[in-house]
Amino acid sequence: MSSFGGFLYARSRTVPRTLAALAGTVGFAVWAAERMDTYLDTDQRAPIVALSPLLAAAVIGVSLHTPSDELDRTAVRPWWPRRLTQLLALTALAAALLPLAVLGDATTFGPPAMIRNTLGCVGVTAAASVVLGARLSWLPPFCYVGSVVLASSGVRGPAVTVWAWPMQPGPQPGAWLAAGAAFVAGTALYAVRGARPEGPRT
Amino acid sequence: MTLVSERRTTPRRTGRPRRAPHPLRAEAVHGFAPWAGAAVFLTLGVLLAGSAEQWQGGWTETRSRLHEGMLIVLPLASAAGCWQGGRERRRRTEELWGTVSRAPLARFVVAALPVALWTAAGYGAAAAGALLATWPYATGDRPYFDLLPADLASAAAAAVAGQVVGRVVASRLATPLLALAGYVVLGISSTVREGAGRLLNPAFPVRTDTVPVAWQPAAVTLWTAGLAAAVVLAHTARRRYTALLPLAAATAAGALLVQAGDGVWRTNPAGSRQVCGTSTSPQICVNARYEKLLPQVTAALSGITGRLEGVRNVPVRFEDRPGRPGRDEAELPMLVPLGWSVVRGRLTDPGQYAWEAVQALQDRMDCGAVDARVHTADDAVTHYLAPSPMEKTFDEHDAAGDEAQRAELRRRLAARARLTAMDEDERRAWLSAYFATAGDCDARGVPAL
Repeated sequence: MSSFGGFLYARSRTVPRTLAALAGTVGFAVWAAERMDTYLDTDQRAPIVALSPLLAAAVIGVSLHTPSDELDRTAVRPWWPRRLTQLLALTALAAALLPLAVLGDATTFGPPAMIRNTLGCVGVTAAASVVLGARLSWLPPFCYVGSVVLASSGVRGPAVTVWAWPMQPGPQPGAWLAAGAAFVAGTALYAVRGARPEGPRT
Repeated sequence: MTLVSERRTTPRRTGRPRRAPHPLRAEAVHGFAPWAGAAVFLTLGVLLAGSAEQWQGGWTETRSRLHEGMLIVLPLASAAGCWQGGRERRRRTEELWGTVSRAPLARFVVAALPVALWTAAGYGAAAAGALLATWPYATGDRPYFDLLPADLASAAAAAVAGQVVGRVVASRLATPLLALAGYVVLGISSTVREGAGRLLNPAFPVRTDTVPVAWQPAAVTLWTAGLAAAVVLAHTARRRYTALLPLAAATAAGALLVQAGDGVWRTNPAGSRQVCGTSTSPQICVNARYEKLLPQVTAALSGITGRLEGVRNVPVRFEDRPGRPGRDEAELPMLVPLGWSVVRGRLTDPGQYAWEAVQALQDRMDCGAVDARVHTADDAVTHYLAPSPMEKTFDEHDAAGDEAQRAELRRRLAARARLTAMDEDERRAWLSAYFATAGDCDARGVPAL
C-alpha cells in the first residue's frame, strides 16, 4: 500500500475526525478524573475506567464505516491488512492515551484496568460492526458495559471477574482473559469480514 | 345476427381488494422498533441477572432495582429514537418525504410511536420477568407497581425526544454520544443527595423502605411526556406555539415535584410492622416485609434461645423495626440488604447469623477495645451460645503467634471450659449476672469466670 493510498484510505474512513474525537475522549477522561478528586479515593475511578474506553471504542467503531462498500469489494488487493492496521493503530492510540487519566496506583482502577477495558470494548465493538454494521457497532458494548456497571456493585461469586470484567479494579486474571478474548476474536472477525455493509433499508 | 354468447370482459370479483397495511403497522412490525425493544429487554436482563442475589425474593428490592435500570434504559431509548430519527438521512429519502401530502407531525408520529412503544414494551417485559423471578422466593409483602407507569412513560418519552435529536443532528457520532452523555448525566445526578431538583431525574434511585405518594407517578409522567411532546411540536408542528401547552404542563409537574421535595416519598407502612414468634425466649420478631423468614430465623437462633431458657436479664425480644431497639429489646441481625444474610429467600449462613445475634445480645459493639476480663467473658458466652464460624481460625492463629497471643488463647480456652463445666443452675445464675451488664463497657460489673 503506497503512502498516498494509505492517506486516501485514512480519509475514506474519517480517520482524522476519529483522531480528534479520541483526543476529546482522553481530554474528557482527564478532566473528569480531576473533577472527581480520584487521587484521594482511587475507587472513584471505576466509572471513568469503565466508561471512557466505551466512548473511545464507540468512536473507533463508527470509523469502521465505509461509504463505498460495493466499490471496495471490486478491488484486487486484500483488505484485511488495511482493516487490521486501522483497528490496531486506533486501539493502540486509545490504550496509550486513556491511562493518562488514572495515573498513580496501578492496583485499583489504574492504567492496567484502563488498557484492559479499552481492549475489551474495542473487541466487542469490532465484532458488533461485523454483525450490525459500523454505525450501530457501539450498541452492544454500551448495553453490556452500561448494565454491568450498575449490576456488579457488591456482587460476589467466582465468575464475577469474568462477566463483570469492565468493573474489576486490577490484575484479576479472569477479567484480562475475558477482555483479551473479546479483543482477539473481535479484531480477527473484523479483519477477515469487514463491517457489515449498509443496505438501502438501514 | 343474434349474439348468442359474449365473452366476459370484466374481471370476476373474487372478494374485496386487499388494503395496504397501515404505515404504523409496517413501522411497528418490520422496522427498527422491535430491535429497540429487544435491546432494552436484553440490557435490563443483563442488569437483573448480574445482580439477582440483591433483589430476587424481595418485592420492594425488585421494584427499586427495576427502577434503577432506568439509568441505562433512558439513554438507550433516546439513542434508539435518535437512530430512527436519522433514518431518512441515511436512506437519502428526506426530499422524497418532503413531497408527500401528509403533515410532518403525522409522519413523525408514525416513525416515532413504534420505537417508543417497543421500548416501553421491552421494559415492561423485563419487569414482568423480574416479578415472576421474585415470586417463588418472595419472603412476604406484596408486589409493588407504583413506579412502573412513570418508568414506562419516561422510557417512551426518551425515545420520542431522541428521535428529534436524530433528525436535527447529522453526525454518525450523534447516537452513541447521546447514549453515553445521557448515561453519565443521569448517573451523576442520581448520586446527588441534596436539592429538590434531583427529583426531576426520572431515574433517581428509590429506597426500598419508601413508597411514592399517590400523585408522584402522574407528576413524573407529565414531566417527561410533556417535555417530549413540547420538543416534538416545536420541531414538527405547523403552529409551533402549540409546544407551549405541553411545556407549561411539564413545567407545572416539575414545579410540583421540586416544591414537594422529599415529601414525594413516605415510609412504607408495611416496613414498620413486625411479625413475632412467641414460643421462644427471647421472642423473635422479623419485619412484616420478610415474615416468611421467621421460621428460618427461629431455627437459626434456636441454639441461643434454648440455652437461655430460665436466664434472667436477657432482652424480651429480638426486634426488626427501623430505628434503635427499645428497652428490653435487642436488634435482630440484619436480613437486608438482600444478597448478604439472605439470598433468594434463604439464610445463607445460619451459624454466622446466630453469632451476630449473640453480639446483639451482648450489645458491646460501640465499646471499642474492652478490658481483657470483659473480652474473656464475652468470648466464653459467645462460644457457649453460638460460636463464630471463624473461631477455630482465630484460635489457630493465636496458637501460632507470640507468647502474649498464646497466653490470651489459654485464658479464653480456660474460660470456655469453666462455663461449659458449670451445672445448669450455676450457669443460669452466672449468665443472669452476665446479661445484667449487657451494653456496659465497664469491666467492674461483669462476673468473674
